[in-house]
Amino acid sequence: MFTEELKAFRRLGFRHVLLQVLNFASVIASGLMIWKGLGIITNSESPIVVVLSGSMEPAFYRGDLLFLTNPASERYKTGDITVYKIPGADIPIVHRVLETHDVRPKRNAAVAASVTGPNQLLLTKGDNNYVDDIELYQGLEWLERKHIVGKVRGFLPYVGYVTIAMNDFPQLKYALLGGLGLLALLQRE
Amino acid sequence: MARTKKMQADGEGSSTLQTPNKKANRTPSPSPSPSAGRSREPPTPETERPAGPLSVVLTALDRDVVKVNNANATELKNACDDAVKRYLSRPELFKQIHLHTDVRLGLGWLSVFVAAGTAFYGYKVDFEKSKPVVSIGLVVYIFLTIVQTLYAYFVEGNTVFVGKRKTFSKRVSPFSHLLSVTRSSNHQIITERIHLTSSTKSASHLSQKPSVASPSNSPSYQLAVTYVRSTNGGKSLLAKGRTKAAQTYSAFFDDQGTMDQEAFERWVGELVEQGMDGKLA
Repeated sequence: MFTEELKAFRRLGFRHVLLQVLNFASVIASGLMIWKGLGIITNSESPIVVVLSGSMEPAFYRGDLLFLTNPASERYKTGDITVYKIPGADIPIVHRVLETHDVRPKRNAAVAASVTGPNQLLLTKGDNNYVDDIELYQGLEWLERKHIVGKVRGFLPYVGYVTIAMNDFPQLKYALLGGLGLLALLQRE
Repeated sequence: MARTKKMQADGEGSSTLQTPNKKANRTPSPSPSPSAGRSREPPTPETERPAGPLSVVLTALDRDVVKVNNANATELKNACDDAVKRYLSRPELFKQIHLHTDVRLGLGWLSVFVAAGTAFYGYKVDFEKSKPVVSIGLVVYIFLTIVQTLYAYFVEGNTVFVGKRKTFSKRVSPFSHLLSVTRSSNHQIITERIHLTSSTKSASHLSQKPSVASPSNSPSYQLAVTYVRSTNGGKSLLAKGRTKAAQTYSAFFDDQGTMDQEAFERWVGELVEQGMDGKLA
């Protein structure tokens, strides 16, 4: 199968090969840029996440896709569902806000000005858990705004299973990428 | 005087495979009357034209078999476009100018590197700190993409082939009798520039029942040729022609999808030679 394609490439020349590789590379580049653009617009590090555990049942199940935003000027209220990441832990956690406290502005105005928006201290708990998240905070007493990745605005059920499958079976990820690459290289627009 | 000679050259018909390159005869004619039948006068730049594509003999061994899915109009058009490029880039014919391809490659690869750099930076640096640089990278990427799209749509358009050719012509310049110059220094470099665009026209205007699949219902390949011939570094214009022709795909592809490259090349060659003859259709 490949000898035909290699012959075609040699016939069409070096520029053509560069063009085909460019097709593939620009698909990947536009995907990356869309992801980064979404992150900038939503002000969130990772605006689309997948639920991995069942600690938010019956609201969210494992495999749900969540859409987050993190407006800097917004105050988080009790009852908001947030995704946060503890420094030192790899995996972000999605739980509901139980308590919020406002930090009083410090006397040193320069320090206070560097924090954009209200600085709050938060306590969270998963709907399906018996206890709140103190143990998960790894020594912290409260969550601060800077640990929050975003607030959940919407979700899609089941779609996240694709990501879970690709993480559990990395061969699937490489097979998919390889297949896409082959398709892009062999097709002409 | 020069104008009437052009009519004679057209009347001699298009060249066949075996005729020599230069059409006009060398023997100078003493009679000045234009109606003296086939009177030959000294060749001037207007009558004489360099070799057209039909005068290039091609052997059957030169070609690979081209087989496409003849239900896919995009594949048919791409096969025809590739055949045009292969045909006109032969060493005796035009040299392809790759400007459009190079611009697209340059802009495309630049935007890929900008995207890769921005993504890598965002991966290495914390989100909050990386926001300004990532935003700049994003804006640059969007700008490059817009420029690429505008270039492809407005500047490149339907262009298939842009080519140039420089030939040497040993001939008498029309002003040589005015200047006291020796004959041997009257060589001129003729520059030709050719530009082809192509498009696919659907079959709906050809017959009343476009839903029936048959060779007469095939979409058409429309090819337009723009041709300019000049000398003195582009300062004196010798000929200019623009023609257009359309032919159904079914004339070049059989029902298996194999392309009849000789027939296609003959059709393209005739069209290009019409353009070279200065038709302004």
